[in-house]
Amino acid sequence: MSSLYLHIPFCEHKCIYCDFYSIAPKENPEHDNALRERFLSSLKHEITMRSEEDRFHSSYETIFFGGGTPSLLSPSTIDEILNLLSRSFHIRTDAEVTLETNPGTVDLETLKAFRSAGVNRISMGIQSFHDDDLKFLSRIHSSLEAKECVRNAYEAGFENVSFDLIFALPSQTRERWEANLQQAMELHPTHISCYSLIVEPNTPLYRMVESKQVILLNTEDDAALYEYTIECLTSHGYEQYEVSNFAKPGFKSRHNSNYWNHSNYLGFGPSAHSYWNGLRWWNISNVVGYSERLEQRLLPVVGEERLTPQQLVEEEIFLGLRSEGINVAGFQSRHQRDVMNDHRSTFEALLDQQMMVFDGEKLRLTPKGYMVCDEICASLQ
Amino acid sequence: MKNIRNFCIVAHIDHGKSTLADRLLETTETIASRDMTKQVLDDMELEQERGITIKLHAIQMKYKARDKQEYILNLIDTPGHVDFSYEVSRSLAACEGAILVVDATQGVEAQTISNLYLAIDAGLEIIPFINKIDLPSAKTMIDTVKHQVMDLVGCTEDEILMGSAKSGLGTDEVLEAIVKRISPPKDNPDAPLRALIFDSVFDEYRGAVAYVRVFDGTIKEKDQIKFFSTGKQFQAEDIGILEMQRQRTGALSAGDVGYIIANVKDVHDTKVGDTITSVDRPAAEPLPGYKEVKPMVFSGMYPSNSDDFAELRDALEKLKINDAALLFEPETSLALGFGFRCGFLGLLHMEIIRERLEREYNQALINTVPNVEYRVTKMNKEVLLVDNPAFMPTPGEIEKVEEPFIKAQIIAPPEYIGPIMKLCMDRRGVHKNTTYLSPERADIHYELPLAEIIFDFYDKLKSLSRGYASLDYDFLEYRESELVKLDILLNGEPVDALSTIVHRVKSYEWGRKLCSKLRELIPRQMFEVAIQAAIGSKVIARETISAMRKNVLAKCYGGDISRKRKLLEKQKEGKKRMKQVGRVEIPQEAFLAVLSMED
Repeated sequence: MSSLYLHIPFCEHKCIYCDFYSIAPKENPEHDNALRERFLSSLKHEITMRSEEDRFHSSYETIFFGGGTPSLLSPSTIDEILNLLSRSFHIRTDAEVTLETNPGTVDLETLKAFRSAGVNRISMGIQSFHDDDLKFLSRIHSSLEAKECVRNAYEAGFENVSFDLIFALPSQTRERWEANLQQAMELHPTHISCYSLIVEPNTPLYRMVESKQVILLNTEDDAALYEYTIECLTSHGYEQYEVSNFAKPGFKSRHNSNYWNHSNYLGFGPSAHSYWNGLRWWNISNVVGYSERLEQRLLPVVGEERLTPQQLVEEEIFLGLRSEGINVAGFQSRHQRDVMNDHRSTFEALLDQQMMVFDGEKLRLTPKGYMVCDEICASLQ
Repeated sequence: MKNIRNFCIVAHIDHGKSTLADRLLETTETIASRDMTKQVLDDMELEQERGITIKLHAIQMKYKARDKQEYILNLIDTPGHVDFSYEVSRSLAACEGAILVVDATQGVEAQTISNLYLAIDAGLEIIPFINKIDLPSAKTMIDTVKHQVMDLVGCTEDEILMGSAKSGLGTDEVLEAIVKRISPPKDNPDAPLRALIFDSVFDEYRGAVAYVRVFDGTIKEKDQIKFFSTGKQFQAEDIGILEMQRQRTGALSAGDVGYIIANVKDVHDTKVGDTITSVDRPAAEPLPGYKEVKPMVFSGMYPSNSDDFAELRDALEKLKINDAALLFEPETSLALGFGFRCGFLGLLHMEIIRERLEREYNQALINTVPNVEYRVTKMNKEVLLVDNPAFMPTPGEIEKVEEPFIKAQIIAPPEYIGPIMKLCMDRRGVHKNTTYLSPERADIHYELPLAEIIFDFYDKLKSLSRGYASLDYDFLEYRESELVKLDILLNGEPVDALSTIVHRVKSYEWGRKLCSKLRELIPRQMFEVAIQAAIGSKVIARETISAMRKNVLAKCYGGDISRKRKLLEKQKEGKKRMKQVGRVEIPQEAFLAVLSMED
């Protein structure tokens, strides 16, 4: 099963920690509007061009609007794009259609309209229920607005709502994070993503850390918060199905799971990545450059890599270990290799230490294993 | 022959030996001054960086003296470090005279004395040269230094030359003194051939090139020659003298210094100190003084990546041709796999070899803690030489263990005597006597276990005396000591490459420090790691490295996967540089933890 991703590179404001490609408005609103229109028509071009390639005639089960802030687009624009996608590709009727939504960018009416356009899952960038955290993260919304937005989403008919939360903020205490999780769960989302704050190069946060304006939480406390997160959410009926992702039964993100299953996906928009049967390529990370190419009927691809058999194996292992495990039989049939045998001594030690479990079908990490997932992956030589 | 002068320059490190050599080459126009790189004799990159002469070289100069005659001056360079005293002695044996350089601002130092004694033992005429007299600080010192030199050499004040190698002041006087005061070779051109190898280098195309001083007879190209120590025979193919490059002359006679190429392929056949004679008319006796060089310090050298074993062996073979003192033989460590136990003259020698392997041969190495060679007598009276702590017999099998002692000479201003004596006492030293070269210079004699000075003794000595103390030492004898083998266990498994041999009295402290140092050096792992120090089955110290708490990147979506894979590949590369013992990954520097232990 395959997936479609659309990268909408516009934000009202760039948050200090974010390194996804997006642009915030400049002084001249007319210019900004023109840029947006130009992007939308290019996006449609790209969709059409790709749909003309036979190799992408597949059945698609998920669509994901990411960014940037895709909820800044009008419902009618989302509707147009979804219609175009339906005409261009075979989209399953039960497809998961996610829209990343930031509180403070949508009201009830807009949400209703998104729902009517075919969006059936909202991934909400809440990040924190503490206003001072939101201020630090330079988010545009308040805690109150976030809660209202969630209620509006329900009222608009969304049954599948996911929250993004960030922990390990500077000097964050266990109590403050606990309160965040508590307030989140009181709103009954079907899915919660909890990310430990990452300092990405080329972000304002990076420079603030470099200049010691911001002191990051130490690893020990970060680890304790993460441990607590897993404990708290799993005991409240959220299953951990990836390092940072938790879902109520039946509400795992099918789109994200496809990334981790090494399934095929097509990405549209600037900076979007695509993966198709061992080939990966990515688009230019510049909205003007993106449009210019498409206006000349050129694909905006700026890089690609063909994975070697060894790289395929490596990716499948680390993606599997990050998420729901490695299916031993499936691995054997895809790669003619016995993954257990290849890494016997490491896996045995992990099983012995309860960092990994084997249910007869899958080798998967336990919460204790997720904590040191990268260390485990790096030690598989 | 009466116009040949063979000489060398001896000095304490940094007293200006190489600078003086440069001035002599310039003044005799052996090299144009515009071609001078500073200190041309030290042509290895490493030598230039460290400012010390490691390998010997020789060069011929032509000098028109004030008596209007032309002289051939052969300058034979000598290494300037205590590790290389045998090589120094062979260079000296090739000469009739030596210039003793003493820094006017520093005075006589330990190596001034040791090198001077070597030169006197070799029967050389000594020409003292007080250097750096143009430095402002020389003024107050110069009379003292003169008296030190007069006492030491037993010369008159008039016999002392003075100048500045840096500016060239006094260089002419030095050249005249070489001609007038050093006697020409008294060798016999008619006797059977005897040529002393004082150095050899390996030429990729020509094989081993022996640098020789001919004492008796003559050697021509096509002659059949024989090496005394091995009895092996070769045909001389290319013979000549040493100028800035090799100059082919076809023959060398008694008194000459030059090179011989004889298609010698085996790297071990041109040993420093060996004598070359002719097959047709062999000499009855070799020249005196040859000895198999005995390494004093041993260490395991292992390729970081075990696939590189053969490459490391080739690199060591190549280094050995230039370095008769380097010994190595294959050994196996449970922790490190296949590698070599290498023998060195001293710690500096070891560092040089390691650096050359890394830089010139691009080898990634794991070096184990250096140790001395122990003489172990077992209960059954069998005597073993143990150069690797891993092979020390169990305590029950041992009747006694003996270790090498050295006699050390330390020269320092008297105000540092206290701290120096404390340092020596900490290192199990036995004080012999203290005399005064002058009121400002104490000459302290100690007997010390070699094992106690090979690590950081010299650095400590230098720092506690603010650089004023100098050290020289010589092997004395083997002495019985109460020594025990200290093992390190990681998660219960002994790591043979981390075993050390220490004095029983120090073993607890040593074990504690080593465990705590290893705790610093070994990174956190997925699992808890217990570090234990044990003597036999008795654990004497323990540290724990708690398990890594968290190492996982929060996000990995469609656009992150390639980046994530590359990151993991990089981490895997990093892990490959570590050695795995059981489940524990040990970084390379941990194998030298002992060297960075704090007191």
